[in-house]
Amino acid sequence: MEKRLIHLSVNGDEYDVVVRPNQTLLEVLREDLELTGAKEGCGEGACGTCTVLLEGKPVRSCLTLAVEAQGKQIETVEGLASDGELHPVQKAFIEHGAIQCGFCTPAMILTTKAFLEENPNPSEGEARRAISGVVCRCTGYAKIVAAMMATAGEL
Amino acid sequence: MAEHTLVGHRVPRIDSLDKATGQARYTADLTLPRMLYGKVLRSPHAHARILNIDASKAERLRGVKAVVTGRDTAGVRWGVFRYTRDQQLLTGDKVRYIGEDVAAVAAEDEETAMEALELIEVDYEVLPAVFGPLEAMQEGAPQIHDHAENNINIHVPIEVGDVEKGFKKSYHVREDRFVDSEYTYCQTEPYAVLVNCDLSGNLEIWTPNASPHTKAKALSNLLEMPLTKVKVRRICTGGAFGGRSDIFPGEFIAALMALKAARPVKLVYTREESFTSVRQAHSMIVDLKTGVRKDGTLLANEIKVIMDGGAYSSTGPIATSVPFLVWEETYRLPNVRFNGYRVYTNKPVRGMYRCHGRAFLGGLGMQLDMIAEELGIDPVEMRLRNALRTGDTQATGSKIISCGLSEALQQAAEKSGWKEKRGKLPFGKGIGMGANGMMVGFPMGIRGGSSAMIKFNEDGGATLISGVVDTGSGNDSMVVQIAADVLGLKMEDVNLVSADSEITPLDQGAYSQAAAFVSANAAMAAAIDAREQILNIASDMLDATVEELGLRDGYVYMKERPERNIWMGKAIRKALMDDTPIMGRGSYMPKIDQTREWVSNPKGQQAGTFSFGAVVAEVEVDAETGQVRVSNVTGAHDCGFAINPMAVEGQLEGSVASGGVGATLLEEHYWDGGQMLNASMLEYKVPLSVDMPQITPIIVESMDPEGPFGAKEAGLWGSMNMFQAIGNAIYDAVGVWIKDFPITPDKVLAALEERNRD
Ligand code: FES
Ligand code: FES
Repeated sequence: MEKRLIHLSVNGDEYDVVVRPNQTLLEVLREDLELTGAKEGCGEGACGTCTVLLEGKPVRSCLTLAVEAQGKQIETVEGLASDGELHPVQKAFIEHGAIQCGFCTPAMILTTKAFLEENPNPSEGEARRAISGVVCRCTGYAKIVAAMMATAGEL
Repeated sequence: MAEHTLVGHRVPRIDSLDKATGQARYTADLTLPRMLYGKVLRSPHAHARILNIDASKAERLRGVKAVVTGRDTAGVRWGVFRYTRDQQLLTGDKVRYIGEDVAAVAAEDEETAMEALELIEVDYEVLPAVFGPLEAMQEGAPQIHDHAENNINIHVPIEVGDVEKGFKKSYHVREDRFVDSEYTYCQTEPYAVLVNCDLSGNLEIWTPNASPHTKAKALSNLLEMPLTKVKVRRICTGGAFGGRSDIFPGEFIAALMALKAARPVKLVYTREESFTSVRQAHSMIVDLKTGVRKDGTLLANEIKVIMDGGAYSSTGPIATSVPFLVWEETYRLPNVRFNGYRVYTNKPVRGMYRCHGRAFLGGLGMQLDMIAEELGIDPVEMRLRNALRTGDTQATGSKIISCGLSEALQQAAEKSGWKEKRGKLPFGKGIGMGANGMMVGFPMGIRGGSSAMIKFNEDGGATLISGVVDTGSGNDSMVVQIAADVLGLKMEDVNLVSADSEITPLDQGAYSQAAAFVSANAAMAAAIDAREQILNIASDMLDATVEELGLRDGYVYMKERPERNIWMGKAIRKALMDDTPIMGRGSYMPKIDQTREWVSNPKGQQAGTFSFGAVVAEVEVDAETGQVRVSNVTGAHDCGFAINPMAVEGQLEGSVASGGVGATLLEEHYWDGGQMLNASMLEYKVPLSVDMPQITPIIVESMDPEGPFGAKEAGLWGSMNMFQAIGNAIYDAVGVWIKDFPITPDKVLAALEERNRD
């Protein structure tokens, strides 16, 4: 398949990458840009561990073609902390014990950030629904929801 | 525990910063220079003889650097035990399940590797296959392994007391059959492995694992390489739950290809491969006969379990024993006969799962409730009457040195409002209880103990070197918390080097629930040893006796006159100058009967200690749709002592998802013969955030006399007793017993219909 040069904007940095048109954003992030925070849990849109933000909205990067992401702001977990300061969502996840094996964590944190920016004071039920597209096999979601609720109103 | 600055406190885990920022590395995240990509060719047949493999076309494809088949490894067999060596990790003669590893390719990129797979020609002679354990045990069934008649892989017989007499003396006897289907770990991280080799014959391996030392030993045996040259490196693991314990074909195959190509090889499984070609949980058929006195005291148990083991042994002897052991670890069983059979079928390989034995433990716990009802006894009372207590000896001979089971039962009942709710909720709502005991470690020979070291930098910081393994539950952080507490340091002043088979000392790994008891004991001993050395040096410097000194915030101080103190760095420097550098050293081997063996000698002290727990589940059953929703779970667990209560609670919460909502209500595989129909996360349903109940964790602390600070374990909190609790709650809600797990809506509806017909 013919490769082509595309331009991506990730965490405020600009990149030129040569990709195949069928390459997913997840592959390009992980393999070409070495941003491995987004994980491939299933590669078929089911688990959500590949979640990144596109124009501030969570997307499954395993179902998003890299070429589709051109000209849009892409955010990955690596871009969340700024000037050595953790993002409040990251802090809350750490303080509330919301992280066990950590494989779902980047996706959970990004999903939470996007959700709370839209919906700063959610009910617990709304918070649960917001992360219902990301599978966590370790935590039973309890401390993740607690961390979400603790950050509510802070963003 | 007021004197402790860290232990017993809710502290953030040391690994969470890396994980929250995307810096934590998992196997698939790694790349090495000149790394090749591996792919495995898998069997499309459930049972077939391999007549010929021709890989020559694949070998000639541009970009292919190594091809391996069973011919490269003929005769090399793997088994966890000497007597279970039944699996060729790259099969040469026969395939025994769909998805079995037949050949593999390493190439410059993944596309080339996949293209090469299609060029490998395999001639199969398809053989008759068998897909259920009962069929497999019948005369004339296809024999899957030459050595196993009637396809019986493992038979564990245990008999204690006089079972017949027990039944004769019983006031009431009940018999039930419980069954379940296969389910899966489904860790969020799919299986992956990266192998690097160099020309001096060193092999480095990264793979999600529960024990680098176990993996290294197995690989050194299989590859006939010295153990010293096989180095399994530390890597983050995206969940294990028992499913990363033994050796898998992937690491063996990747190693073969790396050696052949003399380049690093990375092999990352798809989710489908992770479902079919690593490990699943057993399905079971469980026959239970229980006899009790009028007051509910257990007098006799006769138990027969038939487990579908799939094509190979894996941890079979353990898997066949554990459901029974967990039961004898909960209740006083004066007369009991257990016959566990693990049977070969032409299905993927089954291993030990965190919520292993749902038909067995769910069945026994539900049958207890049935009997309680027939005798008019409250289920909590029924459990309390039979519960083990400190000082008791279990059926097969293990002494209980600490036991908070009764307290857990009482607290779970009280905090859940049991008395007000049981039998009193409106139709459709119900409450039920479950309980279990759990071994903390088990006999593993030299690999059953742990050791640790601590060294210091001249600035007062320390490095703990421990074999402890963290697959996600927080073991790394736990040992640092302990060492820092003992040494009067902050957690950030203690580095950890862990889980590297070359660098860190032997440790049993993150299974058998032993980390908080064994690994933590070793780390604590190393810290105490270092502390004594520091205090010795400082006692000269401060002109005080060792007893008069304490360690806090990086200073050695006189307890009576805290203003008299020295910076710890000073003592460390002085020790270096004096040529007596401070190096802590500690180890712990649990006091178990090392002659105990799963099959040949299931008698004697099984584990160093045991943990205990009780859960109460509340459910809402929709009688129209059959849908069951768990609304509340109150769990009380005797973990001995909670080193980090936040981490302990997290274990219950995770267990409620995997054992409770997942294993009890949702998770199962569907099959067409040997073909798994839902090897995909779209179709294999795991609990999501919206499926989860409110969870109230209650920590019971029995202060184990052997455990570090009294700690035992918390990893299996709830995961093995949720089935009973939910099954019993459903009965309380709508009056039907569902004896087939998972309890899906169709089964609830069928049971309700049947009851309405009667
Ligand atoms: S990897 Fe994208 S949803 Fe699972
Ligand atoms: S922390 Fe392990 S999957 Fe969420």
